[in-house]
Amino acid sequence: MSTAIDDILQRRENAALVILTLGNFEVFVNGEKVPAKEWKRDKSVQLLQFMLMARNRKAMHKEQIMDRLWEDEMDDQGFKVALHGINKALEPKRKSHTDPTYIERIGHTYRLTTENIWIDSVAFEALISLANKNIHDNSTLAIRAYQEAMLLHKGQFLPDRIFEDWSSDERERLQLMFLNASISLAELLLSRNPAESIQICQEALLVDVAWEDAYRIQMAAFFSRGNRPMAIKTYKVCEKVLWEEMALKPLPETRKLYEEIVRSE
Amino acid sequence: MANKNEETASFVLRLSQKIFETEEGEPQIEWRGNIRHVQSGDETRFSNFEDAQDFVQNKLTSMTMKAVEDKPESEQKGILSKSFDFWKKMATATPKLVMDSIKDPKKQAAHFQEQIQEQFHQISDLVGQKIEDTIGPNTSKSEIIEKLDHLTHQMDMIQKKLDSLSPPAKSKK
Repeated sequence: MSTAIDDILQRRENAALVILTLGNFEVFVNGEKVPAKEWKRDKSVQLLQFMLMARNRKAMHKEQIMDRLWEDEMDDQGFKVALHGINKALEPKRKSHTDPTYIERIGHTYRLTTENIWIDSVAFEALISLANKNIHDNSTLAIRAYQEAMLLHKGQFLPDRIFEDWSSDERERLQLMFLNASISLAELLLSRNPAESIQICQEALLVDVAWEDAYRIQMAAFFSRGNRPMAIKTYKVCEKVLWEEMALKPLPETRKLYEEIVRSE
Repeated sequence: MANKNEETASFVLRLSQKIFETEEGEPQIEWRGNIRHVQSGDETRFSNFEDAQDFVQNKLTSMTMKAVEDKPESEQKGILSKSFDFWKKMATATPKLVMDSIKDPKKQAAHFQEQIQEQFHQISDLVGQKIEDTIGPNTSKSEIIEKLDHLTHQMDMIQKKLDSLSPPAKSKK
């Protein structure tokens, strides 16, 4: 079954076009990074980013794309220029009057082809999906799949577009996926490798400081390593953060664990 | 004409439910939320939905203020007044929404989305209409603030009624 993980990762080696979206935006064609200056216009980058985000939908009409990305600030000519910018950056040696390899056009609709392309956020999601399916029956596989997914997650989705509406839903979806996967992995590792469990919880808390599950697992992990003071300190931080951010107390489950740790002296 | 980017505010709302038993063995549900204003990146967490509403209201009011800053003062007041009407309607719609949700939790998300969309359409229509100075040309800014205070008071009253319908929850101060 671990071949399923390898398959997801190895597709990167075989893909002609590799796009990184998590933590940074980078594009590689046949292993070579496309330099920033090759894009010429930011609108070309935006258009490619939008198309990769919408890759699983049916091809989108040009008007739909323009409306979603730029409202009415872009005309047909501007769209054409932005599209040309993508094709030029990805295939600088393509002969004129030949179809682009990566952007498919059918009438007035466009989409990014799904073949021969590897996108980190797609692989991230596939690994998490694989881990979730195996979490009860094959925890070893689930752990490895989660770990590989965590390695791909170098930060939030398209960080250069955080103030732009069109990328928000995908960013939120992936961030939630990351938080839930972190908690699942940290729980799986609690008895096998508490130090790694702690580290994963800390990474989740960097994304959302009020994610209570991450505090609770961290407390259990510190305690299992014999570090009672840190377990207690973690609870105190959790209590403070939840109160300051949401005027809430920790959940009974967290309080119960804290009381057990305190009583254990 | 205002920049298109300054006409739209987007919000990402995340709600997590926590279901647990109290120490007395009573089943309890707690909602934890996070709302982010996309265009500024500002965000806040909340356990009381009123805090999320305040956050949205502040962002939209700032946006309206910015859009009308070059207009004559009387015109500004008219637009702001209509903007406040939107929130007044929101305040009266909220209790019905909450009660409907209690009766049928499965429809909660759909109801909420419909209500929000309806209210946003109303504000768009209101602002788009010919501007009427409902406050009066000589109304001072302090009177506008007074009107805001009045609305806030109304919101507080509604919240108290809501609180009386459900177990007490701590509100963020």
